[in-house]
Amino acid sequence: MKESNFYSDDFEQLIRDKTEQYKMYPSERVWKGVHNSLHTRRRWFIGSMALLVTGILFFAGRELITPSAHSVLVRKPASTAASIAEAPKPWLAAHIPHTALSAYHSANPSSPVRHSNTAENNSEEGQDPEYKEISITLSHPVIDPSDLSGWLSRVQLPDHAPEIAVIAARTVGGDGSRPAEDGLRTGVRPGAENVSGHESTDASRVDASPGAGDLADADGLSARQVLESLSGRGGNTRMTGRLARNRSTGNGVAADGLLPDSVSRGNKASAAAIAEAQDRQRINWLHDYALNSLPVPSKRGRTFFQLTLSPTVNYRSLNGIDPAYEKWGPSNNFSGNPAQMINVSPAFGFEFGGSILYRLTRNLSVKGGLQFNFARYKITAFADSGSQQGTDYDSYFGMVQAMANQAPGTQQRGNAPVPSPVNKLTLNNDYYQLSAPIGFELRVLGNERLQFNLGATIQPSYLLGTSSYMLSQDYTKYSKEPAKYRKWNISGGLEAFLSYRVGNIRWQVGPEFRYQFMSTYTSQSSFSENLKTYGLKIGLTKALP
Amino acid sequence: MTEEAILQGCLKNEAAAQRELYNRYSPKMLAVCYRFAHNREDAEDMLQEGFIKVFSQMHTFQNKGAFEGWIRRIIVHTCINNLKKNKRFNESLDIVHASGVQVREESVPSIVQAKQIVECIRILPIGYRTVLNLYAIEGYSHKEIADMLDIEESTSRSQYTRAKQMLEEILIRKKILTKPREKADWLVAVR
Repeated sequence: MKESNFYSDDFEQLIRDKTEQYKMYPSERVWKGVHNSLHTRRRWFIGSMALLVTGILFFAGRELITPSAHSVLVRKPASTAASIAEAPKPWLAAHIPHTALSAYHSANPSSPVRHSNTAENNSEEGQDPEYKEISITLSHPVIDPSDLSGWLSRVQLPDHAPEIAVIAARTVGGDGSRPAEDGLRTGVRPGAENVSGHESTDASRVDASPGAGDLADADGLSARQVLESLSGRGGNTRMTGRLARNRSTGNGVAADGLLPDSVSRGNKASAAAIAEAQDRQRINWLHDYALNSLPVPSKRGRTFFQLTLSPTVNYRSLNGIDPAYEKWGPSNNFSGNPAQMINVSPAFGFEFGGSILYRLTRNLSVKGGLQFNFARYKITAFADSGSQQGTDYDSYFGMVQAMANQAPGTQQRGNAPVPSPVNKLTLNNDYYQLSAPIGFELRVLGNERLQFNLGATIQPSYLLGTSSYMLSQDYTKYSKEPAKYRKWNISGGLEAFLSYRVGNIRWQVGPEFRYQFMSTYTSQSSFSENLKTYGLKIGLTKALP
Repeated sequence: MTEEAILQGCLKNEAAAQRELYNRYSPKMLAVCYRFAHNREDAEDMLQEGFIKVFSQMHTFQNKGAFEGWIRRIIVHTCINNLKKNKRFNESLDIVHASGVQVREESVPSIVQAKQIVECIRILPIGYRTVLNLYAIEGYSHKEIADMLDIEESTSRSQYTRAKQMLEEILIRKKILTKPREKADWLVAVR
């Protein structure tokens, strides 16, 4: 039956045939939409990674910008010490009424503590020839016992310094304070208790301290005599002591010898000797306090956080091209190596990441972290303006130069001629990767401030996304084939850098090289592409608490 | 990769198999969508929605008939559902007389015949075009079309008749076809 001027069957068949021939190639956006709606797990993965990176950045920012928790932690004892210094100490003040207590008094808690040694009747500092003074900044965040010893050793003490010093454990008799014998029996050191500011004494800790409660020491007699001589000057005040070995070995604080004879002989000790003993008490109190009452600093200095940013230039090496490919070119009239007709040029990218470093030895550190890599290189291709839209024929985004060199309009792809003239195109091959560099850094030259280092990493990496063009199997054109890209890969990195420490932060700058060991493409592709990245890594490193 | 392997991979929600299936059928399916849609962007939206349905309903495919036909039906139904959301489309289905429709000369790109014919189809009013697509190209009966578009079967017939007349006119005007008396010539010219 005729329904129109044409025979229906013929017309419908014509329409059907022609429309069936017609194909259109969707943009990549369509597949991304499909893929994202089907694979939400991937989104979770990317989201988690983003969260992780954000966390690292937040942590880094907090560490670099705001004071670290460690600093706060370490400053606590300083303020405690200052408050202790300012607090009344009946066990001390009652017995040494005229002794300068500046060692314990500080107008400003953070200011240096003046440690004075004066004669009993000379309250003015500096008038006594034996006046000794040290300045100790207790607010310093790190007081290492060895450092403290060094400071203490600066005190110019008499030549006959005692080996055994008295760590004062004094009580004021008759005023209800702690009986001296309590301290003796239990080994509790009142000084430490008061200094630390705790109501209850941690007996076990004090007992564990070197020299604590060591009254049976052979030198105890001399020390007791000193204390007794002091107490004799205090009227009805009775002074007892607990002995501790003097760990100071530096200038003037003799490791050998006892207290001066004049002192050890008892009640008739001179005022100078008494002052000397008092000075020694203070020194040892400070020393003992630092060792036993200050919180032990955590082992810092071994773990570091590192942030790096590297502007990079990216290249690639393409393998697997048959130099004698017979069917190369649409009309088989090309000669020469197809690889020579592929125009690729490097482009800029960048890398950004964070790592945790652990110092194994003075010169060697291991590290692990996360890094975001953006790599790009450029391909020069040739196409008509319509082919970029992907609306015609196949996923065709440009041809290699040899194709373009043919006479315009004579090229055939399928039934369709390539429109002419062709335009020169620059196709960007972009790769977005997340990698986890694991490696080491080796200090080759330099000191603590300026160093020259070498480093190497192995980097498992995951391809987050790509917008790149793959050469077709017949070497004539470029197309997008996202499914043919390998998701997981392994790269290796080498770097050399100079680092310079400014304050708590170590800055570094130096060249780096990164090579992708496995091909960018899966085994479905006959080509293999390896990315090469040259960069200038800029980084900063900060010690973790 | 064989179609069977692709199907199995898609059933396991493997991205590579899904991509392979998409690469294989998306060009044809986008052309289908393009014939129904107003523009390319709409066509791509339809295609995306259609393929999401394809992958999520893959388990309902029972190997009865061609896989491509099954995909095509899903895509066409997706297109129709999208069009039915458009008020203009519903109104256009009621138009019976289309003699007033003017064909703009410049709107027909002169590239290749397949594309020319598709572009000519797209010049038709949306109602005509839809019925023509469904009947002449997709092979649905007028009853099925009436059910799909919620119209009378007679309306579908009349729409198709008008659509075909208009398309013939356009093709002749564009010199893609010749007049019936030169039947032998136009058959040669086209085929």
